[in-house]
Amino acid sequence: MNSLHEQFVVEARELVLQTGDDLLALERDGNDAGSIERIMRSFHTLKGSAGVMQLPAMSLMLHAAEDMMIAIQRGELVATPAIITESLNCIDKVSQWIDAFEATGALPPDAGEDARVIAERLGGRVSENATVPKGGAKAELPVWASRLVKSVNRGASGPLFAILYEPHAGCFYDGDDPLSLLRKLPDLVALNMEFLGKGQQLAELDPFSCQLRLEAIAAGSWEELSAIFKNVPDQVHIINVPPESLPVENAGPADGLALVRAVLDEQRQMLGVAHSPESRDGCIAAAARVAANALRHGARNDLADRITRAGDVRDAKLLATALRDALEQLDRGADADNVQPAAGIKAGETEGVAGRTLRVDESRIESLVNLAGELVVLKNSFGHLAKRIELEKGSQELIQAARHEYDRIERLADGMQAAILQLRMVPFAQVLRAFPRLVRDLSQQLGKSVRLVTQGETTECDKSVVDRLFEPLLHLVRNALDHGIEGPDDRAAAGKDTTATLTLQAFRAGDRIIVEVTDDGRGIDPAIIRRRAIEKGLLTEETSASVPDENVLELVFAAGFSTARQTSDISGRGVGMDVVRTAVEQIGGRVTLDSRVGQGATVRLDVPMNIAMSRIMVVECAGQTFGIPMDHVAETVRLTPDRIREVKNNEGFVLRDRIVPICSLAELMHLPHSPASTSEARLVMVTEAGGKVAAVEIDAIRDRMDVVLKPMQGLLAKAPGYAGTTLLGDGAVLLVVDLKEILP
Amino acid sequence: MTVNRDRAGHITLEGKCGAEEAETLLQMFLETPEAPLNWSGCGELHTAVVQVILAANPRFSGPCGDIWLRTWFAAAHTVPPNKAVVD
Repeated sequence: MNSLHEQFVVEARELVLQTGDDLLALERDGNDAGSIERIMRSFHTLKGSAGVMQLPAMSLMLHAAEDMMIAIQRGELVATPAIITESLNCIDKVSQWIDAFEATGALPPDAGEDARVIAERLGGRVSENATVPKGGAKAELPVWASRLVKSVNRGASGPLFAILYEPHAGCFYDGDDPLSLLRKLPDLVALNMEFLGKGQQLAELDPFSCQLRLEAIAAGSWEELSAIFKNVPDQVHIINVPPESLPVENAGPADGLALVRAVLDEQRQMLGVAHSPESRDGCIAAAARVAANALRHGARNDLADRITRAGDVRDAKLLATALRDALEQLDRGADADNVQPAAGIKAGETEGVAGRTLRVDESRIESLVNLAGELVVLKNSFGHLAKRIELEKGSQELIQAARHEYDRIERLADGMQAAILQLRMVPFAQVLRAFPRLVRDLSQQLGKSVRLVTQGETTECDKSVVDRLFEPLLHLVRNALDHGIEGPDDRAAAGKDTTATLTLQAFRAGDRIIVEVTDDGRGIDPAIIRRRAIEKGLLTEETSASVPDENVLELVFAAGFSTARQTSDISGRGVGMDVVRTAVEQIGGRVTLDSRVGQGATVRLDVPMNIAMSRIMVVECAGQTFGIPMDHVAETVRLTPDRIREVKNNEGFVLRDRIVPICSLAELMHLPHSPASTSEARLVMVTEAGGKVAAVEIDAIRDRMDVVLKPMQGLLAKAPGYAGTTLLGDGAVLLVVDLKEILP
Repeated sequence: MTVNRDRAGHITLEGKCGAEEAETLLQMFLETPEAPLNWSGCGELHTAVVQVILAANPRFSGPCGDIWLRTWFAAAHTVPPNKAVVD
């Protein structure tokens, strides 16, 4: 795969995502011109790129999709849910093909057939509507087609189609004979052959490179015509010619239109002739009157009124311009009020607003992050050096200088690291954008009506966190849709809005990101959880009553717990919430659940903003130092001997009406240690790891620091109990303990 | 050989002309740019051959022998070329 292919894959994926969003917005907000415009442009860009990549099947399908959007834009077609679904399917297909293209460098073998089927379905929607145009908006033919249609000098014997055939330059080598295909047209009405190499010298002509553009008008059926061009779908564009754009004989607009044109043209010429000042005004008035009458005769009162207004100004140039415009309008047959601003201008505006971005390979950022990490380590070691100078009684001046330099390096290193970590920050929108589609599809599947509200798209957090939040959020959203939100009937019976609201919001709280998934469904009933927990053997009849409601709710996070009566495709295999907790805890986060019966539930994920840096506490026990992630430590307590009680065989103490067992870190790490003296105060860290509260006894706290945690490698990779290692300022390796794993 | 030159120096097309004839025809036009084309005896012409004729834009000494092409070539050829390529 070369860089062009890579670029294509990246861009195509972005466009696919963007188009999906826009399609959903179109469905949600009705015929929003901005969305339609963007979708059309995305389809167009994708089609173009597919053409460059020589993926004719993809071009063909996207061409049909683009045509459909054009029809929607012109008001010939209404963006019904069915049409949105078809467009989404089309985008899904593109997405699959891009995956295949990335993996194999080509589209799947059945892509051509798939493309044809989808393109025909999309084309069918356009053509079935084009013959019965809705409302007053007239279909607008491309310029080439309307020009060719004008040369049709006979009554149409059936539906007419305009065919644009742009053969590939190398088509002769493929054995194609474009004209022979046109010969097969059963009822050819008009044909235009254009040789595109007009300017070039005959000697430079490559006789085997096709440089023709063929335009035709033919009668027949869509199926018949598609069958003729079935082998060159990417080179042929077939458009339905709406009956009103044809010169109709009985009313005579062919002649009538020509007449109007001739009259208008004549008035223009007359205005061009120099007139004496006294006769000029009269001439202008006469020209305007004649032209307006001619236009009224041609049933174009709108244009006639404009000409009359222009004539009232008595300015020859103005009237001439108005006449020219009117002629153009007649040519296009477009409604005068329907003139759309040029797409190019709009595109320019939006591009100006969007921020400029640079696409960088993730691995390059990764190596910068690592380098910044090393720099922080070096900075720490410099701090260590500064301390040694101080201890070894260097000159006061030297100590001052070292401290000063250390401060400067610290500022720089910290600033640089922050800036580099900032590179990895991505807006939360990246993870949220998949959900509108998901919620739409699932709610349709479940027959529920759900409105998704997303907030905090601009909240930024580290890419690794954003990436790893998708799966847990997916489970939570599925759970909420499947179990939390009731069907419309149940909601109506409960006196609620039949459309449920599911809110996904992300916000920053200090150096952490809070993500909340809230639904206004039935909530979680603690009674049901109790019953289910007893069935599953997680609680006994006796203990269940004594457990408070909020603790009961925690049980839904236990492995294998599901409250749904039956498992469904969507969720309910009883693993969802367990997976959520595991995934969130892996990135140093916490999950909490809040529910009010009948009113809904909120699941709150509290995750660090970035996981590249961790804050650790350096502690000492049995003569060794260990790192403990600060995330695990709720508080540190210095216990006087009188607070410590013997509970069964263990020691424990009371902390805010709760008995907290004490374990020794040395014991947990299997280090030789002497029993604690009974007279001195003892230091413990209270930890809430893995849902258990425990106090871990240590000898001393040495330091707190931000470190880049490196996972255990090689033989040690599978050693349990360690979160990783980090280098200390003096070059020593510090083992960082994972309390959750070592606590009994 | 379906592309020939007659005694009067006219280029003639006889019978059905395949794609490979395009090069021969082009050579003849290059040798004698002013030579008229007599295609009254021709059958179905391949698109490549028609393209050479369009590019060379010769004088014709007689109507086209291929009825379909006779019907459409003149009409198609005289329609003002459409510069505005609309996609």
